[in-house]
Amino acid sequence: MVSMKKMALPKDAVEMLLDPKAFKVLATTDDQGNVHVVAKDSLTLLDDGSLAYGEVLESSVSNANMVRGIWFDRRVAVLVCRHGRSFQIKGKPHRYVTTGPLFQQFYLAFRQRFGPDSDLAGVWIIAVDEVREQTLSVRKEEEERKHPNMRHFDRECFKVEQAM
Amino acid sequence: MVQSEVELTLSEVARKYPEVPRFILIKIDAAIRGVKVTDGAFQRARESNAVFEEEIYEHGKRFTRKRLAGAVFRDGTWVCGLESSRGMAILRYGQPYTIDVMDDKLMLVDGETPVEQCFFVPHPQFYGKKTRRGTPMHHLALAGPPDCLNIQVYMDCQFWRGKLPCKYCQLETYKGARHQGGRTEAELEDIYETVSEALQEPGRWTGIRLTAGSNPGGRVPYENEVNEYVKVLETLKRSFGGKAIPVRLVSSAYPEGQQNRLAEAGASCYEPHIEVWDEKVWEWVCPGKAKWFGRQYWIESALAAVGVFGRGNVCTQLVGGAEMAQPYGFKTVDEAVASSLEGAEFFARHGVTTSSTIMWVGQGSVFYKQKQKPAPLEYYVKLISGLRAIRKAHRLGVDFNDYRRCAIHPDTDLSRLDYPEVEV
Repeated sequence: MVSMKKMALPKDAVEMLLDPKAFKVLATTDDQGNVHVVAKDSLTLLDDGSLAYGEVLESSVSNANMVRGIWFDRRVAVLVCRHGRSFQIKGKPHRYVTTGPLFQQFYLAFRQRFGPDSDLAGVWIIAVDEVREQTLSVRKEEEERKHPNMRHFDRECFKVEQAM
Repeated sequence: MVQSEVELTLSEVARKYPEVPRFILIKIDAAIRGVKVTDGAFQRARESNAVFEEEIYEHGKRFTRKRLAGAVFRDGTWVCGLESSRGMAILRYGQPYTIDVMDDKLMLVDGETPVEQCFFVPHPQFYGKKTRRGTPMHHLALAGPPDCLNIQVYMDCQFWRGKLPCKYCQLETYKGARHQGGRTEAELEDIYETVSEALQEPGRWTGIRLTAGSNPGGRVPYENEVNEYVKVLETLKRSFGGKAIPVRLVSSAYPEGQQNRLAEAGASCYEPHIEVWDEKVWEWVCPGKAKWFGRQYWIESALAAVGVFGRGNVCTQLVGGAEMAQPYGFKTVDEAVASSLEGAEFFARHGVTTSSTIMWVGQGSVFYKQKQKPAPLEYYVKLISGLRAIRKAHRLGVDFNDYRRCAIHPDTDLSRLDYPEVEV
């Protein structure tokens, strides 16, 4: 039996996840390890700290990979980006909702956004177990602190002031 | 089946077959052991709008009938085995599971051990409403798994009347309380109103299933039966404004000309079930089908239907475990599975997909009277794995009969992984 672990997300990541204009992608893998990456505009944060998105296509590669994930305990990754900042969030598919209040909520939101011929197969819930800021300046600062030997010598930081 | 065969537990099967998802193993095990619902869980079902209660008068007495809409696991897999909670007597294996509330979560429990979280499904919004002439709408259409609207075309079977029922069939048990003969004009109007009302619920339905008992009479085989299906299909067309709709028929085997009538009336998918592949066992298990009009007729009907409904839109079904009923059935799991997969492979080569169901040895059936033993969990694991592999190899779809549009076929549950590869 699997229980959903709760993990606190940084405040900025929370804001991005709740921003419908932020760019959000989902990465999954198939049984051969092939990676599949797609945009998921509907991805959002639920009150319990898990992620959720609406799956439009029941027969998609992403959906098959998510099913594989919940069946065989495989991880997925989400990237959320806004204004040059980004967070990578990893976790496991926890639940696929095809009926009931949460499904209805997503279904009606899709209908409102995409019109009367829009459809929704289900809502995936992802239990988060890892979050990492991917903003380049943050990652660069970390690398230079941990790996100062990796820098090129012609960079500004190595330049010696020339005697006048 | 033969009593001395070693039967593995859920844990043992899970260790032996790690490639089969645990959710599906639990579903099968729950189906063959049964599931009871505790009072606490039943209260949770009420709070989830998953219990439909109605006042019934029967034999001069008044009582409340409670209908539980059903439950799903976290992955959307339907929880089988709840049939006993609806008063249906079924021969089971060992002790049933229970659904209980533990740590505020709804759980499937084995003894005192929580096995997996589950969620009740709300009953449809049209339940409790009546047609203009006062017929309760849930008497005309029932939700099965969450996405499927089930309509009984009629509740009668000539095989039963001729004392030649399929031996696993329980139809006779329900017949007295239900409908006999074809639908009248007034009843068809009731169906029209009910389906039209059901369609008002957003995001609820993706499939309709029509079914009935067998009626082989008419100028050509089963013409009388087809006539009744056509009436209901034409009624459904009105509810959909004449547009094409996904309606599947779980029915008898029809000649191609009758299949064309059904397709023109709006049927999109067709399921003439063979039930058992082995010829000799089939004649014993399905004597009505053998009499009207024999195994080769039923097979050829399924193959011809691919030309009418399209590749992947025709499905035959095996009643998993019926071919192991004694004294004429297979003696070992491997012999039984090999025979069934031989049939599935034959059908797949012709564009017909094969699903399997878990045989319930239910009250009213011949097998129940014979006290036939249900097949063990490992048998189903071997059968469903083989059926999925055949379907995958032939890139055949089964979406009209899957985990949310029928939900009693563990092999089609497995095919959720293969939808991206399906060819039509």
